Amino acid sequence: MNTEAMHAGGDPRQLLSEVRALAHRVRVDQRMTWVALLVLAVVTLAGIPFDWFGMRLTCHADGSCEFARRGVFYYWPPALLLAYATISFWYVRTARSRGLGARVMPYAITGAVTTVVFTAAWVAAALYFPSHPAPIDPLPYWWFVLDRLVAPWGVIGVALLVLARLERNVALLLFTLAYLALVLLVLPMNLGFGPPHWQIRAGLAVPQLITGVVLLLGAAGFRAAARRQHR
Amino acid sequence: MTAVTGTPEPDAAHPAHGLDEVVHQRVRLGILTITHEARRVEFGYLRTQLQLTAGNLSKHLSVLEQAGLIEVEKGYEGRRGRTWLTLTAAGTTALTDEIRRLKQLIARVETTDNPEDR
Repeated sequence: MNTEAMHAGGDPRQLLSEVRALAHRVRVDQRMTWVALLVLAVVTLAGIPFDWFGMRLTCHADGSCEFARRGVFYYWPPALLLAYATISFWYVRTARSRGLGARVMPYAITGAVTTVVFTAAWVAAALYFPSHPAPIDPLPYWWFVLDRLVAPWGVIGVALLVLARLERNVALLLFTLAYLALVLLVLPMNLGFGPPHWQIRAGLAVPQLITGVVLLLGAAGFRAAARRQHR
Repeated sequence: MTAVTGTPEPDAAHPAHGLDEVVHQRVRLGILTITHEARRVEFGYLRTQLQLTAGNLSKHLSVLEQAGLIEVEKGYEGRRGRTWLTLTAAGTTALTDEIRRLKQLIARVETTDNPEDR
């Protein structure tokens, strides 16, 4: 489009196509997807030592153990809120330097709300389970999925779905769906992971390490894609 | 008694009749689209994306501002002057209407292009 082409009207198909192309260009220029994933990866990886050293572990003579993940409870709510504030700051700053407004606020609000939901669920569980007997029948599968969804690693995915919608970013949507499938259906985030001889702490650290690495790889991939698009 | 005029209902008429001359213009439609998508846009970004001279872009912005479709905010960042634009509610409505009418025009063209209608 240039000054010579400023005649009124034109082919409606072409005009509509130009409108769509311009809107897409703006959305691409507003994106900082890799920063969001990088911050979340750093928060996830930094949370591993908090979980490891903050865990209250009591093992009995019969070999059974009870554990309470105090580190997760105290680390994640402030860490997630700080992460969403950092991501929002970077989105607004970068968009402004490019001459654009940012559309990150609904993502930050969703992130804050899901953090509150996760904290409330963990407080409720911490208050309920010590004074109630463990259920005799095995819990249904959906209960475990719901439990993982309200864990920090699950709520990260829920908020990322909102970011994908805001940015109309199909690549981020696909990445987030794969991430959620990994966290909700594959990795046992709340029950431990690894060979039977592994200690509980190591068993719980491995899924977090995998989640953090996946987010980090996602950040690297989106960073490479963004560099290609801005060339 | 009802007065009958020869003017058809606007919606029953050809979609091109409802096009707003202020908006139905390539550059101005581009400005409204970018501003709507960006929420807030700086003069320099518009100039780059639309490949216009500063003077030319200013003329189009004046037309849109006088029509009440955009708001212009001038300020400084350090020593550098920056002009930011936002879309008004009337601007959002005008853009939505223009896109709806363009789609109607395309649909009408596709209908008349149908070989069975020939």
